[in-house]
Amino acid sequence: MANNILVLSAAGMLVTAYLMVGQKALFTAIRLYGAQSWLLAVVGVTIALADHRPHLFVTAALTASLKGLLIPWFLMRVVDRIGIRREVEPFLNVPASLLICLGLTVVGYRVSTGFPEGATGVAHHVIGVGLSTLLIGLFLMVTRKKAITQILALLTVENAVFLIALGITSGMPLVVELGISFDVLLAVLVLGILVHRIVDRFESMDVSRLSQLKG
Amino acid sequence: MSSLLLTLIVPLVTAAIGSVGGPRRLKEAVLVSGLALTFGLCLATAAAFLGGRPIEHFDAALRVDGLSALMLVLNGFVGLLAGVYGLGYLRRNEDRGLVTVRMRREFHGLIPAYVFALLLVSVSNNIGILWIAVELTTLASVFLVAFHNRDTSLEAAWKFLVLGSLGLGFALLGTVLLFASAQGRLGEGMAALNWTRFIETAPSLHPFTLRLGVVFALIGYGTKAGLAPMHTWKPDAYREAPSPAGVLMAVGMLNAAVYCILRVHLISSAALGPEFSGGLLLSLGLLSVLVAVPFIVIQWNLKRLLAYSSIEHVGIMAIGIGIGGEAGAFGALLHMTYHTFAKPVAFFSAGTLAQLHSSSDFETIGAGTLGRAPVSSVLLLLATVIITGSPPFGIFFSEMMILRAGFAGPHALVTSVLLAALVVLFCGFAYQVGRLVLGPQPAERRSEVTPETLDLCLGTAVAAAVIAVIAGFYLPNPLMELIRAATQVVGGRR
Repeated sequence: MANNILVLSAAGMLVTAYLMVGQKALFTAIRLYGAQSWLLAVVGVTIALADHRPHLFVTAALTASLKGLLIPWFLMRVVDRIGIRREVEPFLNVPASLLICLGLTVVGYRVSTGFPEGATGVAHHVIGVGLSTLLIGLFLMVTRKKAITQILALLTVENAVFLIALGITSGMPLVVELGISFDVLLAVLVLGILVHRIVDRFESMDVSRLSQLKG
Repeated sequence: MSSLLLTLIVPLVTAAIGSVGGPRRLKEAVLVSGLALTFGLCLATAAAFLGGRPIEHFDAALRVDGLSALMLVLNGFVGLLAGVYGLGYLRRNEDRGLVTVRMRREFHGLIPAYVFALLLVSVSNNIGILWIAVELTTLASVFLVAFHNRDTSLEAAWKFLVLGSLGLGFALLGTVLLFASAQGRLGEGMAALNWTRFIETAPSLHPFTLRLGVVFALIGYGTKAGLAPMHTWKPDAYREAPSPAGVLMAVGMLNAAVYCILRVHLISSAALGPEFSGGLLLSLGLLSVLVAVPFIVIQWNLKRLLAYSSIEHVGIMAIGIGIGGEAGAFGALLHMTYHTFAKPVAFFSAGTLAQLHSSSDFETIGAGTLGRAPVSSVLLLLATVIITGSPPFGIFFSEMMILRAGFAGPHALVTSVLLAALVVLFCGFAYQVGRLVLGPQPAERRSEVTPETLDLCLGTAVAAAVIAVIAGFYLPNPLMELIRAATQVVGGRR
């Protein structure tokens, strides 16, 4: 039972990453990120129950409240104030992007077999999904133009790292995880403020316009 | 309370006081006295280490060994220098009506916060805390890069933050994988992530997981250090950041990132032998030096020139660490020390030239600055002589040491390429600065430029130059002892 929930929610995270690749409306992309964070929290709770690791409850609660609610709410407010709702045509069109992401998933799964837990069991799936999500996040990062989408890609990479951490070690020591969550929150705030300033000056959050500096 | 904790608390308090309003004079006094006290405490902590054993706090999450003590002294020194110069920088801009209340608050809050983060990196023994501290340095410096709020500064800040966060994402994954490679042998609590514990259990770490973790961590922290090919944020950020923040990035951040790289490298060498991470560092280092060559030769902007010089120097340090052994490690740490003393002079003199001409582009500054701003021009020439590694100054000797260690070992090919690149870099850098400073004065320029006046900036620059020249010939004995202690941590353990 626990294993099924684990695999299901981890796979759900991968699905949200794929949906983000196929998505142009910024609000939907932010909601997808929120859903992904909730799924990460479910993975955390499941492992906490199955392996009796009470400190994972704290991590899961933190994930759900910060990354599932607070950060999406903040990003939506930023988008709302800026008044730009859609991603422009990415550097690569959606079908081609999805094909590449498929390839990345295969790579992620292949790498995950090298880990000691990787040969058998659920951990293999969790790590494989984590690595694939990480690669898709990186791919989003390099192909998208809007500042908000780049932030979402960064956050997806970060979620993927947490998923890998859960799959491979059942979580880092609590103090360190608290510090990391706090830092991520701070980073999103700083990014949001910077986006505001960029939009104020350029009247656009198209990152491809930031191209004066060369050489 | 021990001096180590005070060393961290004082800059934090200074930042808190600096970020609220208040009379200008008072805020300036708080900033300088706070940073001076911090530097004093860094020295005291290092002295306490030299007098006894490693200092530990919170389950050894914070720990001062030889390497950390050296970092504390170097970063504390740069913090103080940047703070004092920064006050002069703000005053100058204020005279021209460029400083808003927001800017003053940001500056007085962020500079000490940045110094705090750098010092926290320097003493972190827990690799989780280490990651958190490096992230803090990034967040503290973003708004310093965006300080002037120009189009280009926002672009530079965005690139800096996105690339830096991506690098830190990699470093986080690397940290997770390092932790995982121990397969639960490290235990549960916070102490499980202690570097010292990793070194103790090194032989039993799982090789595949460890290798993957080391690659991710080195690439991640390498991004912060500005190793090629993850160096692209550096020229933009250096050009846009105000000179005092530029110095903190070029010296403090560079030292801190090299510190992280060293810690990861040491775990990897203890478990897998020095070849794996050493080889990776050798190739990244050599690539950095080679990337710097063309960009220095064709450079069009003074501060970007300094950025590529900084990419070159971090490359040299990486090569020194990669060559390894006691000689390579000693060369790299000595190089870091000399670089710490020399780089501020270059930044301060370049900063004055840029402020006088309201731009750091060679074309706008115009040739023949010697006639318009003689003191800064002479200082820039002096800095060029020192940081390009001319004898008789220290960087020449540290570079020779790395080269000799390289030729003695199996890396003769890499070392000969490095030697050739260093010669070209010397010529390129000297050519660029020489053309700028000594070139013929364009006739119509002279009147529009405000002449150089002896203010706080210039005073700090001269003081930094005096220190750099003295340090280039003679490092005080306690400092040499610290470098040797750090070398023991890096190279002597095995």
